[in-house]
Amino acid sequence: MAKQRASSTLKLENVTRSFGTTVALDGLNLTVEPGELVALLGPSGCGKTTALRIVAGLETADSGSLLVNDVRYNDTAVNDRDMGMVFQAYSLFPNMTVAENIDYGLRARKMDLPKRMKQVRKMLQLVDLEEKSTRYPHQLSGGQQQRVALARALAIEPTVLLLDEPLSALDAQVRSQIREEIRAIQLELGITTLFVTHDQEEAMAIADRVGVMNRGQLEQIDRPTELYTRPATPFVASFVGLANKIPASITGKGNVKVLKQKISLSEFSAELLDGQPVQALVRPESIILTSDFEDDASHGLLISKSFLGPLTKLGVAVEGMPIIHIHLQSKDVKKVEIGDRISFKISAEEIMVQNV
Amino acid sequence: MKIGKYSVNAFSLFLAGTIFFLPLVAAAEFSFRKPGGKGHSFVNYTWLLQQDGFWPALGASFRLAVLSGALNLILMVPTMVVLNLKAKRYKSIVDFICILPLIIPVVSLAIGAQVSMPEFLQNTEYELVFFFVIVALPYTYRALDSAISAVDIKVLVEASRSLGATWFTTIIKVIIPAIRSGIIGSLFLSFALAVGEFTLTSLLHWDTFPTWTVVAAQQNILGAIAISVFSFALAIFVLTGVGVLAARKKNQNLVLENEEVE
Repeated sequence: MAKQRASSTLKLENVTRSFGTTVALDGLNLTVEPGELVALLGPSGCGKTTALRIVAGLETADSGSLLVNDVRYNDTAVNDRDMGMVFQAYSLFPNMTVAENIDYGLRARKMDLPKRMKQVRKMLQLVDLEEKSTRYPHQLSGGQQQRVALARALAIEPTVLLLDEPLSALDAQVRSQIREEIRAIQLELGITTLFVTHDQEEAMAIADRVGVMNRGQLEQIDRPTELYTRPATPFVASFVGLANKIPASITGKGNVKVLKQKISLSEFSAELLDGQPVQALVRPESIILTSDFEDDASHGLLISKSFLGPLTKLGVAVEGMPIIHIHLQSKDVKKVEIGDRISFKISAEEIMVQNV
Repeated sequence: MKIGKYSVNAFSLFLAGTIFFLPLVAAAEFSFRKPGGKGHSFVNYTWLLQQDGFWPALGASFRLAVLSGALNLILMVPTMVVLNLKAKRYKSIVDFICILPLIIPVVSLAIGAQVSMPEFLQNTEYELVFFFVIVALPYTYRALDSAISAVDIKVLVEASRSLGATWFTTIIKVIIPAIRSGIIGSLFLSFALAVGEFTLTSLLHWDTFPTWTVVAAQQNILGAIAISVFSFALAIFVLTGVGVLAARKKNQNLVLENEEVE
């Protein structure tokens, strides 16, 4: 299918928004390039939904600018913005059929009937629901309803597509399927998309870039692999993926002593004083099992073992430490059992620390 | 011996049906009796239709009921929508205000409200419309509130607006259809209350069907029963008619297969 209108650039410049004394957005800067899918990820209350609603025109910014193709949109009414939005809750109009729901935005634009019908058919084909055009929303499954909502949002050929946790109400299997469908359609149409979610797996899987938000600000925006392997802040390191927080101390310039090892600090770590106590953030997959004889190996008691197919999760109790989580390939952990004393070490070449 | 769930339900239904329908059937039978009790005929109904003031009283009641229903919807639908969309924090206050007509005695309401009524309205029967709206308020509020609570009206409105619809289109095409059950319920209740309201009308010395019935019934006991049955049948007929019209599925606007639009 041919791409819709030329893709747009979406920019938020120093956007702030407060609700009473609560600061939802604190000088947010974000650029979504034409045809790009950016996911905003963060814990509840971090401001990601507020940012999306400001872009949609459902909230107003206290200050800052919202630009689409360098045109200021702050004062444009919500119904004049030409933005398609898919909501978290099922938002199909219950009194209208699938086809009428998709047609709704086209009618609002007073488009000719033949053009409308052509567009509705095209959208039904896009989300593979041609057979269901005369069904009412209550006759559809949750996944089908969200596909109709997506078709409805895309039918108006929006400048920007906004997705507000559209998969959160769906069960895991359907969620993963619809997620792939959304991505495929987004790539096919080349539409600039802003996607809000609190599910990091979802964000990592679907987005070109993921922006991690915390307390109304963007902590880091980067490609998913970069975000995971090179987190720019301790918050990103601990929020994206799982990280063991192991008591450690700074030793000399650029090193940290964690367990029995001395490891280089990540380049993103703040300046720290020699001897300063910190928490080392160590990914569970950055720890390996080793032999008892290695000098820098640490030892602990295996207290949990969960087999998850290709991966096995271990929980190790070490004296004076929180439980240390280790993720290993299942083929490497056949011989250890709960109650065994095991030896392990950190395999990462550099790690990030945060203040205690 | 085990009594099945089905048997208990059937018996409960039969008992409730008997309690509800038996007096109605008995009244209907009674209303067809000839004076003196020998045989059945339509004589009591013929008498009813020939009485002075029957048609004007019936007409007045229906006129006032229709206006009450309309005013109720005009006032309550936008209020409830705005309350749920923009002013949810005031809901408990409105909730309390809407219960007041149940607490305030009708006599106080009649006298108090009439004093505050503009003079030009005090001289016309249409002042009753405002009273009927107030009396029906607790019921219409509940009917609309439960319909609005059943749908996520905020999301529907936001979806409609983000698709480019104006507020007017959103109200007509999305909000009203979404809360249609509440609107019909509200209309039913306000209509039924207005048609049957006696105390206020009597206190304010207006003639409607209920006040006329009281006077007419004093002359002929069988005729009085005929009036009751007639009123009941008429109310059922009107409300069923409205219900059927409102519940009728609209034809689909967009028929892709035939490329037709209504």
